[in-house]
Amino acid sequence: MIRLTVNGTAHELEIPTYRTLLDCLRYDLGLTGSKEGCGVGVCGACTVLLDGKMISSCIALAVFADGRSVTTVEGLAEDERLHQVQQAFIDAGGFQCGICTPGQVVSAKALLDAIPNPSDAEIREWMLGNLCRCTGYYKIVESIQAAAQRSRA
Amino acid sequence: MAHRIVGQPIGRLDGLAKVSGEARYAGDMTLPGLVWGKALRSPLPHARIVRIDTSRAKALAGVLAVLTAQDLPNILVGRRMFDMPLLARDRVRFVGEKVAVVAAHDPDIAEEALPLIDVEYEDLPAVFDPVEAIKEGAPILHENPGAYDGALPERPHPNVQSVLRFKLGDVEAGFREADRIFEHTFRTQLDHQGYLEPHAGVVAIDEDGRVQVWASNKMPFRLKELLSHALQLPPAQIRVNLTPIGGDFGGKGSLMDLPLAYHLTRVTGRPVKMLMRYTEELMAGNPRHPSVITLRTGVSKDGRIVARRVKALFNGGAYAAFKPAPSVNLGGASMGAGVYRIPNLLVESFCVYSNNIPCGHARSPGEPQMVFAGESHMDMIARELALDPAELRRRNLLRDGDHLANGHHLEHVRASDTLEAALKASHWSEPRGGPWIGRGVAMTHRHIGVGFTNARVRLETGGNVILSIALPDTGTGAHLVLRQVVAEVLGLPIDGVGIEIATTDAFATDSGVGGSRVTHTGGRAAYHAAEKLKEQIQAEAAKHGVPASSLAAVARAAANEGRTLEASHFYDAKVHGAVTSFTAQVAEVAVDPATGQVTVRHFTTAHDVGTIINPLGHQGQIEGGLVQGLGFALIEEMKAEEGRISTLSLGDFKLPTIQDIPPLTTVILEDPVGPGPFNAKAIGEGSISAVAPAVANAVADACGVRILDLPITAEKVYFALREKVVP
Repeated sequence: MIRLTVNGTAHELEIPTYRTLLDCLRYDLGLTGSKEGCGVGVCGACTVLLDGKMISSCIALAVFADGRSVTTVEGLAEDERLHQVQQAFIDAGGFQCGICTPGQVVSAKALLDAIPNPSDAEIREWMLGNLCRCTGYYKIVESIQAAAQRSRA
Repeated sequence: MAHRIVGQPIGRLDGLAKVSGEARYAGDMTLPGLVWGKALRSPLPHARIVRIDTSRAKALAGVLAVLTAQDLPNILVGRRMFDMPLLARDRVRFVGEKVAVVAAHDPDIAEEALPLIDVEYEDLPAVFDPVEAIKEGAPILHENPGAYDGALPERPHPNVQSVLRFKLGDVEAGFREADRIFEHTFRTQLDHQGYLEPHAGVVAIDEDGRVQVWASNKMPFRLKELLSHALQLPPAQIRVNLTPIGGDFGGKGSLMDLPLAYHLTRVTGRPVKMLMRYTEELMAGNPRHPSVITLRTGVSKDGRIVARRVKALFNGGAYAAFKPAPSVNLGGASMGAGVYRIPNLLVESFCVYSNNIPCGHARSPGEPQMVFAGESHMDMIARELALDPAELRRRNLLRDGDHLANGHHLEHVRASDTLEAALKASHWSEPRGGPWIGRGVAMTHRHIGVGFTNARVRLETGGNVILSIALPDTGTGAHLVLRQVVAEVLGLPIDGVGIEIATTDAFATDSGVGGSRVTHTGGRAAYHAAEKLKEQIQAEAAKHGVPASSLAAVARAAANEGRTLEASHFYDAKVHGAVTSFTAQVAEVAVDPATGQVTVRHFTTAHDVGTIINPLGHQGQIEGGLVQGLGFALIEEMKAEEGRISTLSLGDFKLPTIQDIPPLTTVILEDPVGPGPFNAKAIGEGSISAVAPAVANAVADACGVRILDLPITAEKVYFALREKVVP
């Protein structure tokens, strides 16, 4: 039995010890926003925040989140209003197929929480663990810059 | 002509679902009672299956079914050439071939059951290299490939899957005219498309006995046909439900695990989900063909090409099943002629069987391979002739009225303009920034795709319009493009046009996504449907005396008479037209003499395009394809030893990251002469193919080292630098 808070909602779950956090979110809680790409913690499609820090949920066990708080892509919007990062990814073309996007926007939110006004180099350093095969990354950088600018305004 | 909505950089209207995690991809689908399927794969490249014992796996708690070839009809599947069994029967031909499949209550149990299946194999001699595979005495993969459905008759060796040939003039006579003759051989690597959504599918049999399919597949109607054949069911009994697709790049058109998921559904009575793990993608997806390409070119004293002979060997792997073209070959082979007028030409492309992963289509199939070879070859010739590589190209570029290797004649040829634009933007004629810095240019061009699409538009009582279509959006933003087209025609704001993603029940057919066709065929279908609706609206408005500009009033007037205004159009383009799109790219690289590491300092990409419907999406296609090209040039390689892929995760098989992208200059030469709506052309496959040769040519310019095989790793450059005899 584990107790964890996901996007502000408390859950008690009985799960096998080998269940990954990603599978727990997707199959036990029905939160399919987080995706499995590589399955080995490299591509970042499964990125969630555990107590505010980015982790690859595909290589974390669900029991590891016992007593802790998880934020997934489904938890970024507040009161139906998209997080500025999410809106910027739409406006600036920061996604195409969208499969990596949940991980991208979760990582980008964590970046802006840590560094509200990141330089180009800081964006590239922080976002290194989020692969995207569609955009070639240029518009992801622009999306994050736009989101940062918007939060300053 | 000025447009209102066409040409606007509108953000994606499916963005809300995608940035919020609400979009449901095939792998996110769930149904009551859903169970999981997993395949056991061969550990050997070529072996006889002596015996399979599934009893221990069947006894595992939570396992519902275990199937082998003995439990399935003896059907061969494919996209054009039907040579692949659903599960290996008596014999495996590559590491990763499926030999058994399990259904279980959860994915972990299904995986746990796989090693409990005992398979006894007897090794057979294997062949891996395409050159070896077509020698006399090579191990034979298929006893009688000519007998397979869809097989073409020409087969100079039993291990040849197909031969594709392009011919102009008299190549032997051409070589006799030549003053100099150059011959070089190039190799390219095995490369995965790199979409981050592995193949996923859910299959269920509904109350009416119909087979319901949700799959990461970009050609729903072709999928329905292929499943009808594979499952021996009438097409009407199958419905393919469209889902968002997590990247395609040519790789999402095959059946993959769907027939097996069906058989598990049939046996268990439960809906079945099968997801490939990325490891399975890398051992048994349908990646880009590796190649060995030899070009022989004869030139006159003044640097004009008078003859060229090209021989390409594409290593097709154990089955030809994944190739969708009627040629069972790669159309990109025609790029053996490059962007040049070559009066005497012979291009021969052989796809070859070997005991490797079967290959399929990848973004501009065959072109990155052929253009790497062709454009590297051009630079090597220029060096020998002591000509600027740009000048050699200038002297040979295609012009209006020229014929391509595939017989098409060309109009609106902007090869020269595109080259000059790239040269200017990249400061080609200015000095390099220092030692160990070099520039390389490369060019390509691509047809605008053809195919067929059905679109339907209807006017809602609120005055908005719904576009109904069963053409998936693989991520390119195609649906937004189509909505912009409809909004433009009907004078609506973009929010006034909604989209309804239909299933395969809604239309007779559709060629789906691929071959740079969607803006053209989908766009024209939507355009003509909207034009027809516009006529109806005008007639209706006149009839009721309401202004045609008030769509809500028109819709209400029709509704009062019990009618809905609706129009549909089937657009079918069969033959590539006389217009293509040219690309010229310049890479500027720095080579580290101590390590051989190549850094792309700057990249320039110039494109001759039609009317741009959505500049944001258009530029996204250019950037995405270009970075895939950089990965192909410098980073990506699925390494295999004796047919065993050793790079089995995205940790070992590396894709470009956000740190690998160079400063970029894009030059757009807009020329509204395309066959698409509002004279649009195509862009999805225009930016990938010339990247690798531009980089290779820049490396040669920077340090005098010519890399003939991709990718251009630091190791290769380092050892080549050590071996280089400095005069």
